[in-house]
Amino acid sequence: MADQLVVEHLTKIYERGDILALDDISFSVVKGEFLVVIGLSGSGKSTLLRCINRLIEPTQGKVYFDGVDVTAASGGELRRLRRKMGMIYQQFNLVKRSSVLTNVLAGRLGYVNPWMSAVHRFPREDIEMGLKNLERVGISDQAYTRADNLSGGQQQRVGIARALMQEPELLMADEPVSALDPATSHSVMKYLEQMNQEDGVTVITSLHFLSLARRYGTRILALKDGKIVFEGLPSEIDEARFKEIYGEEAEHVEVR
Amino acid sequence: MKDRYYAGFMTQRPAFFTEFSKGLSRIRRRFLVVLTDLFALMYLWTLASYCVNDFFYHVRNFTSLPWWVMLIVAVEVAAFWEAFGVSIGMRLLGLRLRPIEEHRLGQHVVRYILWHISPLFLFRLLWKSDAVPWHESVSGLKTVRASEIAMTPRPWYTRSWSVAAVLIMLLSLGAAMLITKVDFYALSTGAPKMMPLWRGLVSPNWALLGEGVRLLIVTVFMALMATIFAVIIAVPLSFFAARNLMHGVVGQAVYIIVRTIADIMRSLNVIIWAIVFIVWVRAGAFSGMLALFVQATANLIKLYSERLESIDPGPPEAIRATGGNRLQVVIFGVIPQIVNPYLSFTLYQWDINVRMSTIIGLVGGGGIGQLLFQYMRIWDYRSAGMMLLLITIIVWAIDYMSSRLRARLN
Ligand SMILES: Nc1ncnc2c1ncn2[C@@H]1O[C@H](COP(=O)(O)OP(=O)(O)O)[C@@H](O)[C@H]1O
Ligand SMILES: [Mg+2]
Repeated sequence: MADQLVVEHLTKIYERGDILALDDISFSVVKGEFLVVIGLSGSGKSTLLRCINRLIEPTQGKVYFDGVDVTAASGGELRRLRRKMGMIYQQFNLVKRSSVLTNVLAGRLGYVNPWMSAVHRFPREDIEMGLKNLERVGISDQAYTRADNLSGGQQQRVGIARALMQEPELLMADEPVSALDPATSHSVMKYLEQMNQEDGVTVITSLHFLSLARRYGTRILALKDGKIVFEGLPSEIDEARFKEIYGEEAEHVEVR
Repeated sequence: MKDRYYAGFMTQRPAFFTEFSKGLSRIRRRFLVVLTDLFALMYLWTLASYCVNDFFYHVRNFTSLPWWVMLIVAVEVAAFWEAFGVSIGMRLLGLRLRPIEEHRLGQHVVRYILWHISPLFLFRLLWKSDAVPWHESVSGLKTVRASEIAMTPRPWYTRSWSVAAVLIMLLSLGAAMLITKVDFYALSTGAPKMMPLWRGLVSPNWALLGEGVRLLIVTVFMALMATIFAVIIAVPLSFFAARNLMHGVVGQAVYIIVRTIADIMRSLNVIIWAIVFIVWVRAGAFSGMLALFVQATANLIKLYSERLESIDPGPPEAIRATGGNRLQVVIFGVIPQIVNPYLSFTLYQWDINVRMSTIIGLVGGGGIGQLLFQYMRIWDYRSAGMMLLLITIIVWAIDYMSSRLRARLN
């Protein structure tokens, strides 16, 4: 099958502090994969995900999405590419004072008429779609409450519903469960798995815990100091590899 | 890999420039120590001589010596202080001499003498950034971070820097009393003269109630107009004055220009603006309103833009990621976070404007304040009392209202 996402020689240097956050990263992702990116904090996971949809400008390298050069796109073309890539975040990134439904509808912003959205007018189909997606993540009864009245797990599900509104072909999740407790983590990960298996959405997620990565990933990419130190199946990570990725002192922590 | 990028990125600038700036940042702390010591010594000197002059000779004079004599003495004392002990600057910036045990008097003398040629050392830094200043390398007494050496505790009066600190505090207090002519005697003997004023204030001239209320309304609307105009100007400008929203060279330039203008506008007192506008458009409510407007605009730009700078960057990022354009990022990611704080700041500014608008009457800016000062000037304390009563009521009422509303907003 053809590669959906191709990353070539991606390099990011943060001007502030001359930090080499990504160092010549190349990999590709096939449609329908569930790719997990692991690594210590500071290894460059967030930077990598944000360079793919250019929330952060890469310093060098290329990103191709469905054969289109994302790194060369600009203006409207970039926005059209971005709406095909849903994204969810460690800190949920919801507008806390707005209602859950408004937050979810924000996922349609790439599609709707900008002038109508400026006065918060959304097409009827979009509102129905929003309610349907809220139902799908199990919080349809909360549609009109303020986002900050929800628990962490519920807020992340709003984030997932917002991403679903984009009708994405690729879903990127930046440590989606790091701010959640273990039980809630699994319920959130299950939704990602569901999107991956039922809707055929490609998923790239960074995760802190290797146990979660093994449980959900079809492939694992390990970063260390901005370089890829491992790429392969979850089962291939043995004790030696683990130490290489996480350092000599690391211990296994299980999240069930 | 790493080396390749670093080599490519770091060697853009000429080598001697990087060396020099590295060297400068290394000796920056020592330089600040000297400045601090000089400042402390000159300050001590001025205050001491002011007190002596005032107390013994009854002349108000800060110093009887030319400034360059003071400067030379201060430089010498500072050098001595830094070579022989812990000066106040070393203490404040956390530097010490080492070694503290096993040192000879001669080392200190050498350090003191060579200290005088240390400005030449700046040239040395041009090609060797990690060079050690001569007064340290030759004498063997190095300047090090205080955290690197243990200090034995000693009573405060045996430490030169703490004696200096205490002296600075005491002299400041003494000189402040002399300079502001604190006179407790006048405070007590002058009290009876206050009686007519008090009497006027407790029995206000009710005949002026109508006139007073009319001017009070003028005052409140002056404040309201000024606030509304200020909001119209400040809301859009605050986006240009928020560092996190202004990217690129053009953005940075706009940011600096807007900030600077707002800072200048804010640093001039509202009374000064009133005087400016009285010259411009004649005395009256309009000039007062304009003065309040300028002040309020500058204030609101600062309050608004600081709020903008502290918003959560997450929601705007999420909107960008959905494919939203710049307008949508602002409307869905930024504005929901700032609406309530903006309203709250606006109410607060209106509250301030009402209070200020009474003061502006002092210089002829119209409103009830102007009448108050007219009656004060002709010693009609009963009429003045009426105006003061009205001002107190309105200021209290608006303060109460705005704080209640603001509490609801937060
Ligand atoms: N905006 C930034 N400016 C400068 N350095 C940054 C910035 N964001 C991240 N970094 C640095 O880049 C490196 C990688 O960070 P990040 O991608 O956040 O790693 P991770 O998500 O794996 O914790 C870290 O060393 C971090 O300090
Ligand atoms: Mg991260």
